[in-house]
Amino acid sequence: MSLTLFVLRRLGRGVLTIWFAVTVTFLLLRLLPGDPALAVASTNMTEEARAALLVQYGLDQPLPVQYVLYLGELLQGNLGTSFTQSVPVLDVLLHRLPWTLLLTFTALALTVVVGVPLGALAASAKGRTWDRVVQVVGVTGQSLFVPSVGIVLLFLFGLALGWFPIGGAYDQDVYGFEWYGSVLSHLVLPALSLTLVQLGPYVLTMRAALVDALGDDYVTLARANGLSPRRILWKHALRNALLPTTTLIGLQLGFLVGGAVLTETVFAYPGIGRGIYEAVTQLDFPVLQGAFLLLAVTVVAANMLTDIAYGFLDPRVKTS
Amino acid sequence: MTAPLTDPALTDQALTDPALTGAPLDEPGRGRRAGSATWRAFRRQPLGVFSLAVLALIVLVSVFAPVLSEPPASYGPDVLQPPGGAHPFGTDALGRDVLAEVVWGTRQSVLVAVAASAIAIAFGTLVAVVGAYFRRVDAVVGVLVDLTLSLPVLPLMILVAALAGPSTTTIILVVAAFSWPEVTRLVRSQALAVVGLPYVDAARLMTRNAAWIIGRHVVPAVTPVVVVSVVVTASRAVLSAAGLAFLGLGDPTTWSWGRILYEAQQSGAMVSAWWLTLFPSLAILALVLSATLVSIAYNDARNPRNHDR
Repeated sequence: MSLTLFVLRRLGRGVLTIWFAVTVTFLLLRLLPGDPALAVASTNMTEEARAALLVQYGLDQPLPVQYVLYLGELLQGNLGTSFTQSVPVLDVLLHRLPWTLLLTFTALALTVVVGVPLGALAASAKGRTWDRVVQVVGVTGQSLFVPSVGIVLLFLFGLALGWFPIGGAYDQDVYGFEWYGSVLSHLVLPALSLTLVQLGPYVLTMRAALVDALGDDYVTLARANGLSPRRILWKHALRNALLPTTTLIGLQLGFLVGGAVLTETVFAYPGIGRGIYEAVTQLDFPVLQGAFLLLAVTVVAANMLTDIAYGFLDPRVKTS
Repeated sequence: MTAPLTDPALTDQALTDPALTGAPLDEPGRGRRAGSATWRAFRRQPLGVFSLAVLALIVLVSVFAPVLSEPPASYGPDVLQPPGGAHPFGTDALGRDVLAEVVWGTRQSVLVAVAASAIAIAFGTLVAVVGAYFRRVDAVVGVLVDLTLSLPVLPLMILVAALAGPSTTTIILVVAAFSWPEVTRLVRSQALAVVGLPYVDAARLMTRNAAWIIGRHVVPAVTPVVVVSVVVTASRAVLSAAGLAFLGLGDPTTWSWGRILYEAQQSGAMVSAWWLTLFPSLAILALVLSATLVSIAYNDARNPRNHDR
């Protein structure tokens, strides 16, 4: 398959996924035994206001017509109005998105940078102590509850040791270089919590893929040629074992974002997740709906970019 | 014998999930002999047995919660007392006994885990085996599962739970509704391998009753994977339900581990009163970790290579 075709197919799949997310949201909002007007306006509106809203949003129309109207509004970037802040939902969310992106990408980068060598360490010591230790860490990591991890880190490094601030994303009264410094120090604990929770699957996948790769014929050949074990592991086996790990990034992005929602809640980090928490407390349904759609689009786009980037690096991806 | 796992989706999953690596296909109808051999192999793994005991203990606590502790009162005289004396786990911002909250929270967490995973397993398995048997259905199932799994599920659960109004039933249904694709993915790859085996072709010669073939031959062959995914799904359900409760979407009339954390956060004592968060966190960790370890031990145990010969 040519590269253009591969990229086009991948783009098509991304669009399909987003359409699916939108349709699921639409069906949930309309088919749940709640008042659809609630999705666009407050719970304490008057009966006339409700009727006017139903007409304004076309909610008095049959379901298929509503669906087309809904798609049309979304394509224009209209996610409704947040009724607690009386501003378009999209504005509220786009304001918060950079913080969520900063947090999740930092955590993802940390996870890969720590997870791949840990997995390699376990695979190269297969059956020995280090392998056991790494596997125990991996399995335990998968069982952690994100807020619990966040609270423990907050207690240890925020409160007891005082190394890092205990909430927020930056200091109010600093500017320039210092401001970036404050952003960084606020980022450490949330990113660390998210990394600890994410690490397990990456370590275990990397280990399993490397153990497989180390049993392949080309590794035996390299060994027969007298290459050092380290060179075989890092130069030959690792490259071939990276594919499942890259696939895993795509599979885990959804969980990563879910973890970010909980992490931001613990650390009062001003991203979309904290926005979701506040919207839940105020029953701000338009924000909840918009947050899901925006996060879905972000996840799908990130996934697509990873796949396409990897398609350029590894010819096997294009054919599969 | 052991069929090679050819489906790429399965390979990914097998690598993702430690519980699945190195697990061969079970032949259907190996019957009780294999079952007892599996049990013997399981008993030889101290960690697995210990985890099973922890799981059993948690279930016992949830069943006997009314005997173990009074239901948490709505307020008490001693506010934010550290653990000790009359309150082994301390008290919260309204003076309620944290031990009682954790004990009664066990009930709710176990209930949600069992109910949500039962629904997800039943539906997910059904979709997977029917899909594997009828290839035309499978194409749809595959795309549906892929699409659902590539979306951020927690924000979707939050939206639905908020719209439907927080209650135990809502939480069970919401968690179940977004957990079945994971089950389907696990079971489907195994079912696809089984459907291609000669004995299923032989069964096709005997009857055209697809339901009979699926029920009699396909389902028994995927049962081990289903058992593993029961455990995985249940522990994920615990985490999802706790997450929803932590965000304030738990049942406000029942105690759950997530709700203890949520109230700790709301009262502003989340970090300073460490006992408020430590005990429910340990409870969640104990349940999820022991379930994961049991599934790993079970998987090792049913591998015939680890049986006595």
